[in-house]
Amino acid sequence: MNAHRHSYTIDASLPGPRSNAWTAFFTLMKHKVALAGLVILLGLLFMAVFAPVLAPSDPNEQDLYHVLEGPSLKHLLGTDDVGRDLLSRVIFGSRATLLMGALSTFFSAVIGVLIGLVAGYKGGIVDMVVMRITDTFMCVPALVLMLVIVSALGPGMQSIVLSITILSWTWFARIVRGQVMLVRELPYVEAANALGASGFRIMFKHLLPNVMAPIIVTATIALGGNIMLESAVSFLGLGVQQPTSSWGNELRIGYSYLEVVPLFSLAPGLMITLAVLAFNFIGDGLRDALDPRLRSSLGIRGNGYGRAGGTNAVVK
Amino acid sequence: MRQYILKRALYSVLILFFVSLLIFGLGRVLPGDPIQNALMTSRMGPVNAEVIQDMKAQFGLDKPLHVQYFVWIMNFIQGEWGTSIATGERVLPMFLHRLPITLELFAGSVLWSCIIGFPLGIISALRRNSWLDTSLTTGAIIGVSIPVFWEGIVMIYLFAVILHIFPPSGYVPFSESVKGNLLSVAMPTFIMGTQGAGLLSRYIRSSLLEVLGQDYIRTAYAKGLRVKAVILRHAMKPAMIPVVTVFGLAWGYVVAGSFIVEYMFAIPGLGRMGVNAVFSNDFPVIQATLIMVAVNILVVNLIVDLLYGYLDPRVRVQR
Amino acid sequence: MLLQVRNLSTYFLADNGVVKAVDDISYDLEEGETLSIVGESGCGKTVSALSLLRLIPDPPGKIVNGKIIFEGRDLLTLSEDEICDIRGNRMAMIFQEPMTSLNPVLTIGHQVMEPLMLHKGMNRKEALKECIELLKGMQIPDARTMVGAYPHQFSGGMRQRVMVSMGLSCNPRLIIADEPTTALDVTIQAELLDLMKKLTRDHFTALIIITHNLGIVARYADKVIVMYAGRIVEKALTRELYRSPLHPYTIGLMESVPRLDQDIKQKLRPIEGQPPDLAYLPSGCSFHPRCRRAMERCRRESPTLREVSDNHEAACWIYE
Repeated sequence: MNAHRHSYTIDASLPGPRSNAWTAFFTLMKHKVALAGLVILLGLLFMAVFAPVLAPSDPNEQDLYHVLEGPSLKHLLGTDDVGRDLLSRVIFGSRATLLMGALSTFFSAVIGVLIGLVAGYKGGIVDMVVMRITDTFMCVPALVLMLVIVSALGPGMQSIVLSITILSWTWFARIVRGQVMLVRELPYVEAANALGASGFRIMFKHLLPNVMAPIIVTATIALGGNIMLESAVSFLGLGVQQPTSSWGNELRIGYSYLEVVPLFSLAPGLMITLAVLAFNFIGDGLRDALDPRLRSSLGIRGNGYGRAGGTNAVVK
Repeated sequence: MRQYILKRALYSVLILFFVSLLIFGLGRVLPGDPIQNALMTSRMGPVNAEVIQDMKAQFGLDKPLHVQYFVWIMNFIQGEWGTSIATGERVLPMFLHRLPITLELFAGSVLWSCIIGFPLGIISALRRNSWLDTSLTTGAIIGVSIPVFWEGIVMIYLFAVILHIFPPSGYVPFSESVKGNLLSVAMPTFIMGTQGAGLLSRYIRSSLLEVLGQDYIRTAYAKGLRVKAVILRHAMKPAMIPVVTVFGLAWGYVVAGSFIVEYMFAIPGLGRMGVNAVFSNDFPVIQATLIMVAVNILVVNLIVDLLYGYLDPRVRVQR
Repeated sequence: MLLQVRNLSTYFLADNGVVKAVDDISYDLEEGETLSIVGESGCGKTVSALSLLRLIPDPPGKIVNGKIIFEGRDLLTLSEDEICDIRGNRMAMIFQEPMTSLNPVLTIGHQVMEPLMLHKGMNRKEALKECIELLKGMQIPDARTMVGAYPHQFSGGMRQRVMVSMGLSCNPRLIIADEPTTALDVTIQAELLDLMKKLTRDHFTALIIITHNLGIVARYADKVIVMYAGRIVEKALTRELYRSPLHPYTIGLMESVPRLDQDIKQKLRPIEGQPPDLAYLPSGCSFHPRCRRAMERCRRESPTLREVSDNHEAACWIYE
């Protein structure tokens, strides 16, 4: 509801993204949690790219004589309700899930950043309208609205990507707008203004590079959130259609057989969790690396009164 | 202070107006218009254009959009929420009937969030940069990002299928059996509260650390107060003020979680009603759900704002 | 003797090495005496004061050596509980920043009453009565209603008065005032200091004033310690120091501020250069790179404090 609560702001003095890209990279590498996230993410991407090589069998090949079986040598994770190899379906499922997450984040980032740039730079009525719209979206849970939209458009990859985009551009718009309002007061932007640079030029040449850091952080966290949304919608039965496999779909069907073949739902669920965790871990590390103000407020620096209780005895 | 309350309240009403516009718009855009719906409920045979025209007039659909909106919103405010297409019930009684169940879940989730979030956040801050802090902070990120449905499946599998401690699904009313009721809501509320707990502990940690670095904490030590007294009497209160605002955020998670959790655990609350309404294209129920969720979130945020103002003497006591 | 500080060293462990914020300082203080510690910012004067109450944030700080004998006991060997009984009770501290040193969410009354209830065993009612008296003593108008007010309702000067009444509340034997007036308007500075001086004189309380303002030193202190880069470079009675400053640093300090008894034509001479980074101190005497009278020896060896005349010590090779 309030801008200052749901978004975070960073100092206008934040160095540009290019100047400290390397420092940020090294800080990230030292951030153990982020590193773990990065490793998980690379593993998942590897899985998605090389799915045909990695999968032991065709994910759509049914074997009705062997349905709902537990793990065996032939089917390492067992089989599903129509006798398809679960491991292969989980491996191929990464493709649909990651693709939908990436596409929806990309589209919402592009739209949100553009709107945020204009709102933050122009201010006035444009800004007011944008802020009211984002506030409106904030108090309707994304999941419910998304269910409504997807069920109206009909299930499928396009409608999922479209509905996530409709719902999550506001996050980008909010953050970019807040940052732009800080940056546009900087002397060099005012100088560019005074020299008669066009609004277009100022926005893309001067403002955008300065707000890249928070955009990257937001995009990373949004990726995790969007995968979660997509999976939740699939879990409720409005995801991509069979026979395409996605983790959320597998989870939904598997859930009804939880007591018979627990891996049927536990395995795809674990994959979703890993993907969401990976992005949140990386996002956390990126925020620490790119945003010095937040880092200090999380207390990595500080004066130590909290721990020692402020007493010193002489150490000899 | 009074002006501040008034401003926040007015803004909430404005946003609510926008939400109602959004939902009204959705109703016009979505397939399955009210006429069709009404015809479906009345189970009449094929109808001709004249009947449809008649019905349009009857529903006020031949009037301009803004008049339609005005009629619709006035009806809604007066409690005329329409009739469910799927069940033929009046929506308002349907809603009121399920409300206590969902409210119980909300209360339970917030309780879980606080029971877990507060101590962990405080311990994390006091043992800053120790292995305990690192694991708790990592745990908090996991708590915030773990998908509700996955956590639900794992918990059902562990505690219901294997250990048989909690029932795998269903809801026992409080009036029927206190123990049965608590057992049936224990897992769902824990799952709904997990994200809030993670969020709370992270914010409490950083807020407490910030306060512990302030000059007035040094003053408190210089007075001769023991560590415990400094933390409890001088650090906790200022550290908790900004944490109040996180409740607004955590509440969003709780509300969103209720839709999935009630569906998974077959709990007959508002969340399940909403999800089922989506499946059956039951627009009167969908619109009531959306509006009431927005009202709920706006009211909670308003309370958070007021609480914030009340707790912080710099806002409460004007100079 | 109220306080004897012997070879006190406080170090900070930073990423780039050890910072010797306070390095081997010793001094004495009698009951009721006023001592002033002077120096540029970052010379270790605040750290030396915080060390007395063992308020050094740890980590990264650590008192690595020395003795602080206060009322016959070495504070550095006391247990946590024992030092807490001294803080705010026998020895109190007043901090530099009145704007941030009071807790914003607790009332003034609560904060002033706290030491009274803690150390003097008073109940709420007694403490409240005493608190109002203290605030009145610090000339805070309308003290009776002000006990219910929050710090943000006070101006900087008023807040510092509250800080002072908090420090004085348990009638301590020693008060350490760390730049008590730096953050205040010049007109309020003298008023507050005069009041403080009067109250400490009435109760025969010893006072350590930490400042960079030589005017304050001249007006309020009985004796002075001049610190540079964590060490004491000169120690003297106030009058003695003003009459004949010995250390080139002290001389430089005096020449860099305007004085009323000075010839108008005489120019102010700032000390050249910057105070050194405590993590990378110069070899020999830390002051030699900025010293006008530096000799070859200053580059190699660090001078120790020695008595040059009666009650007047300096650490400089010129007086060898």
